[in-house]
Amino acid sequence: MKIEIKDLNQIYPNGNHALKDINLEIGTGMFGLLGPNGAGKSSLMRIIVTLMKPTSGSVLIDGMDIQKHREKLRSMLGYLPQDFRFFTSLKTWEFLDYSGSLAGMKNRKARIAEVDRLLDQVGLLEVRDRQANRLSGGMKRRLGIAQALIGNPKLIVVDEPTTGLDPDERIRFRNILSQLSRNDVIILLSTHIVGDISSTCHGMALLNKGELVFEGSPENLVRHAEGHVFRLLLSPHEYDAVKEKYNVISTLPVESGWDVQIVSDNPPEFISTQVFPNIEDAYVYFMEHKLQTYIID
Amino acid sequence: MSFLHNAGTVARYEAKTLRRSWFFRLFSLGALVIFTFMNIGVFIADESWELVSISSSVPLVNLYLLNIGQAIVVIFLAADFLKRDKKLDTNEVLYTRSISNFEYVLGKTWGIIRLFLGLNLIILGIGLIINIISKKMSVDIMAYFEYLLIITLPTIIFSLGLAFLLMSLIKNQAVTFLILLGIAALDMFWLWFRVGSIFDYMAFGLPIFKSGIIGFDNPEVIINQRLLYFFSGMALVMGTVLLFKRLPQSSLHTILAIVFLAVSLAAAVFFGLNTYSIHRDKSDAKKAVTEANRIFEDRRFPVVKEASIELIHRGESIEASANLKITNDNGEPLDYYLFSLNPSLTVNKITAGNISLQYSRTNHIIEIVPSSKLLSGESDSLTITYAGSINESFCSPNYSDNIKENRYRIAMLNVNKRQSFLNDKYLLLTPETHWYPVASLNYYPSNPARIKIDFTKYSLRVKTKENLTPVSQGRQTSDTNWYSFLPENPLTGLTLAIGNYRSDTLTVDSVVYITHYFPGNDYYKKDLSELKDTLPFLVSGIMRDLETSFSTRYPFRTLTLLEVPVQFYSYPKNSTQTRAEVQPGMILLPEKLSTLDNSGFSRRFESQKKRMARNNQVITDKELQVRLFNDFIRNTFISGVNSLFTRNGVYNEPSRYLLGPSFYFYKNNFHSAEYPVINAVFESHLQQLVQQGPPDRYSSMMGNLTDNDKANLVLKEHSLKDLLADNPSGDTIRVVIAVKGDWLFNLLRSKAGIEEFNTWFSKYCDDHRFERIDMLQFRDDIMNMFHFDFYPYLADWFNGKEQPGFIFSDLKANEIILEERSRYLVSFIAANHEKVPGLFNIAFRSEGQGAPGRRGQQMSGAFQPSGGGPGGRTMQGRGMETSDILRIVFLDSGETKKISLLTDVQPRGMMINTLFAKNIPGEINMPLNEILKAKINTGKISEEVEITAEPLQFSAPSEIITDNEDEGFKSGNQITASPLKRLFGITNRRSNTYMQISQWNVPEYWQPVVLTSYFGKYIRSAVYTRAGTGDKAIEWNTLIKDQGYYDVYCFVGKNAERMTIRDERGGGQGGAPGPDRERQEDSRFKDFHYKVFHDEGSDEITLDYENADAGWNNIGRYYFSPDTARVVLTNQSAGRLVIGDAIKWVKVE
Repeated sequence: MKIEIKDLNQIYPNGNHALKDINLEIGTGMFGLLGPNGAGKSSLMRIIVTLMKPTSGSVLIDGMDIQKHREKLRSMLGYLPQDFRFFTSLKTWEFLDYSGSLAGMKNRKARIAEVDRLLDQVGLLEVRDRQANRLSGGMKRRLGIAQALIGNPKLIVVDEPTTGLDPDERIRFRNILSQLSRNDVIILLSTHIVGDISSTCHGMALLNKGELVFEGSPENLVRHAEGHVFRLLLSPHEYDAVKEKYNVISTLPVESGWDVQIVSDNPPEFISTQVFPNIEDAYVYFMEHKLQTYIID
Repeated sequence: MSFLHNAGTVARYEAKTLRRSWFFRLFSLGALVIFTFMNIGVFIADESWELVSISSSVPLVNLYLLNIGQAIVVIFLAADFLKRDKKLDTNEVLYTRSISNFEYVLGKTWGIIRLFLGLNLIILGIGLIINIISKKMSVDIMAYFEYLLIITLPTIIFSLGLAFLLMSLIKNQAVTFLILLGIAALDMFWLWFRVGSIFDYMAFGLPIFKSGIIGFDNPEVIINQRLLYFFSGMALVMGTVLLFKRLPQSSLHTILAIVFLAVSLAAAVFFGLNTYSIHRDKSDAKKAVTEANRIFEDRRFPVVKEASIELIHRGESIEASANLKITNDNGEPLDYYLFSLNPSLTVNKITAGNISLQYSRTNHIIEIVPSSKLLSGESDSLTITYAGSINESFCSPNYSDNIKENRYRIAMLNVNKRQSFLNDKYLLLTPETHWYPVASLNYYPSNPARIKIDFTKYSLRVKTKENLTPVSQGRQTSDTNWYSFLPENPLTGLTLAIGNYRSDTLTVDSVVYITHYFPGNDYYKKDLSELKDTLPFLVSGIMRDLETSFSTRYPFRTLTLLEVPVQFYSYPKNSTQTRAEVQPGMILLPEKLSTLDNSGFSRRFESQKKRMARNNQVITDKELQVRLFNDFIRNTFISGVNSLFTRNGVYNEPSRYLLGPSFYFYKNNFHSAEYPVINAVFESHLQQLVQQGPPDRYSSMMGNLTDNDKANLVLKEHSLKDLLADNPSGDTIRVVIAVKGDWLFNLLRSKAGIEEFNTWFSKYCDDHRFERIDMLQFRDDIMNMFHFDFYPYLADWFNGKEQPGFIFSDLKANEIILEERSRYLVSFIAANHEKVPGLFNIAFRSEGQGAPGRRGQQMSGAFQPSGGGPGGRTMQGRGMETSDILRIVFLDSGETKKISLLTDVQPRGMMINTLFAKNIPGEINMPLNEILKAKINTGKISEEVEITAEPLQFSAPSEIITDNEDEGFKSGNQITASPLKRLFGITNRRSNTYMQISQWNVPEYWQPVVLTSYFGKYIRSAVYTRAGTGDKAIEWNTLIKDQGYYDVYCFVGKNAERMTIRDERGGGQGGAPGPDRERQEDSRFKDFHYKVFHDEGSDEITLDYENADAGWNNIGRYYFSPDTARVVLTNQSAGRLVIGDAIKWVKVE
């Protein structure tokens, strides 16, 4: 199963060109969609989940145009939108039951069993009968993923799922997604939190201002930054100068001054040691240096 | 199946969500509490007999009231649904599910509908339990379902659809709310009665009352109108599916939505057109009748002397033949015979002997060409064979189909007004339907007061189904399948009812009283079970009272009380006081007496019993039942009135069941070709003699003028003839005819003598019973008897616009010794300076006397002007027959008379009624505060002495007076309406008409009001307003010709006394006790702030109302040069009201 995105463009009535000629192919497993706010991630997501029609281009799932086969696509879809906080007056289980029923689960007994299984899986069984509105932010997110999972969807789209979650919740959430990705499903994860991608995705794409600027594995992205991340021990006076000249990606106070990491195309003028970049370093390097180079080119 | 599953899922959770919303919970809880209490209060405590009596009213009242609430709540919930969907990203997870927009929107719709249906069912369940528990009611289980389908379902679907669609289009919840609430308000306040209720989407005014006898009487209207909104709602929902902001997924469902939209729209248009065409057909039918009447109103009709009618009831139609014996009393030969027959009855054949006659039909008019001319005074016979149904629009062509006009309601529910019934199970045909050929028009467009009456000797043969019983006037016989009726006397019309009737008979004083009722509807027998033995005496007493009032015997041998469906209603006519509910020897009563006051006997019994026990009064059950029975009979058949609230105020419509017409209208007829209003005038005047009920409480409290004053104001501008031709709406013609009748009869009495005329006239009417009397013959008979020709007065009376006007002065009262007896001599001068002669009558109010008892009636609490102490206030305005009238004075044009009257009892005040005159108010109360004791023997006293010397002056030459009626008075550019009203150009309806001071609505503008104690030559008026900050002012201006000092006076028309009259209902047959009165100042008036402009500037004068004199009050002496002088009064006051009347400048010599 794969998603093919071909020459996808989205222009809003206010003239905002949200997606520009996006071409992308996504296979099974978890795929991360990374990019700053306003990069076009949500637009792409909304087109994929048939909430929006693209201005031009197409999205094919297993060769099937989603605009022509919305019914089919929707029957295999689980979707968790970015702002999944407000509920009508339904209990936790009722919300899942509603989703399950709309996902085609007609047998009430089987549906209730599935609801309870999913609630257990996401750790919400204890609050089964609580009003969904009264769940904590993390619980709501877990309820969101549970409803996205109900009905055994083949395509799961999660938009900014970890925003606003505490570290524990975030880890728990990543684990749930990781477990899911072992099944024969596509999980499309849109985020601007780089850590979400590194820990879970085997493939990723980077969007910036509506354009696809990177496509590949997280490791590939990291590879771009190799040799461009440096660690420096600086006095306060030197720190100011470094800050002026380089992209500082982390700063730690130490006895003699500051322990600083920077990204740079060339080694800095100060005494430094090269460090192996992680995906966040790679993302910053890519966005701040690589992309600038592309643009200049 | 997937459709049902998906839509069902959405519906289930939508309903669940809404059920948990605080708004719906609050509404439901409130509804449950309110409706439970309402049901207990109304149907168990039996608070409203008109509802309790008809079992379908339980579901109707419940659903009707709930529907108004839910129509509003649905708007909020439905408009919220799209907004909520739009606002919550959470809902996007549902939008990405495999469900079509069709399924989703229909699911949402069904979710809301089923929630409300559930609430409706719960409320109905409460109603049903109460219905079952209630001892007085039967259960009409079908009505529960019928009203759910009629009221609830179309309203909710339409409201939902409209809300959905508007929200989809406008996408702004607040604006959508406003529009939807505006539409709901428009329906309830403006649209519900227009164009045959076509716009009434929530069935707010649609007449859907279901009779216990015939069920729904207008299913065609109800079905079409409700299906219009059901399908409109469906179309709107389908429109919402297509406009729904979510990418569709099923082309099949999209096509389905389009197909359903088209089908629903087509159905809505179809049913809408049907609804409209029903309305249009009715108004077209009325137009056609009026047009035909207009063509034939000046043509001559024969007189039907005998009519033998044979009728076969064939379900929804009749087959009939009428054998008519006619005469020609037109004074010239008739070369055609004109008859009127209901336009839905088709004439099959007309024969005379064995010869077929040629005829033509113009709507309802049949014009027959006889074989030879019918000479004046000769007779002819012919037979008309016809068949068909009845067009009820024919009966009242001068009334529109607007249900708001002449509203007929049970509680808050409109009842359909039916003039006839013709179906398989029931038939009711009154003469107003012209179900047999009638030799007159039912309405004369150029003179609605005109009427042609034939006293016809009828005979009737009827054939109907075996299980149905026909009822009509006269002695009934039957053979095989035919029933025959033979009335003993000639009648003005014949009524036929056929139904599953039962009957009871009671003979009292040779009159046979027959009640015809439907099975189970004779509950009153049980409620008034104690009356069994007493009933003949009660009936006899009541009838004797009536006969005494009319000075004649009841003219028929039978009095039939016929139960008819509650929808039966007749419109008032200007040509007669009678309504179709009262026929010769027959009264048509609503089923279970539901709409009649005082008819819930058992409830009234219980409550009165309790009240009496509280007051330690002892009364036996029998006495109480006698009282209830008397109350009912008097309020229904003798003196009942219904207060009708209209845009122009309140007026009292006499009960539709008054027996009075049987004593005149169905017995006598005065005819005048020259003055075709004469019968209506005679009837109106004679009818009022027993109708003269209590003063109109609501009307008076709301500040409305008396009928006499209203009529005289109208007659200032119009002659009677012009007014009839104009045919104004409302009760204008009725009150004008009454005043004109009073004047005419007082003229006759003034010349013939009150008692002499009354005695003679009663006998005259009896001698001419069941005859048509020509006015010229009446004139001759009057001349022969009283040597007085009233006929010359009729020309002005009918055609003239001029009114007499009276000035009264020099009222004096002396205690004198006359024939060795202490008596009281009251004298005054009266002048009529106008161009036409006039009449007024005089009565006294005496010391310590109660009001003379008048047939058990008592005056009810009304705010009354007066100027004396306790004593009886005679209702002299219309009381021409009563002994209260001491004298009727005739004043010719330009005549001035000194009037002297003697009375044995010390008078406290004199009351004058100017009848037809410029004087407003026409009832003038003159207090007699000072009685000079001149205990000397006086010689002969001249009752009326004409004064030919100085004509009576209204004011002294040295005085300059500006009254509020004069040109010098200015009330400024008054803002008489709110900004919103001004925006829509709605003018204040009362600002230019006279009123009395209102107990309830104090105007924010200067409203002209009339009262005897106010200043004025003919119109004793002032202006008053609500007290304010001084931002509104009135001013009096005059031109000062001679310079010098002047004393300035303002006139204070004080109510030196207010009369509060206790309403003691249920009084006995004797004289009513005198009304309680208390002497009190009107505390609503306090300080008045005048500003007098003079040569040295202006002075502000504060007048304390409490300490002011009644009449002229000096507000200072000022110097004036020859110029315009001015006095201003503002609305500034610490009291509630401010009043301004007249200003007087008196030169200081």
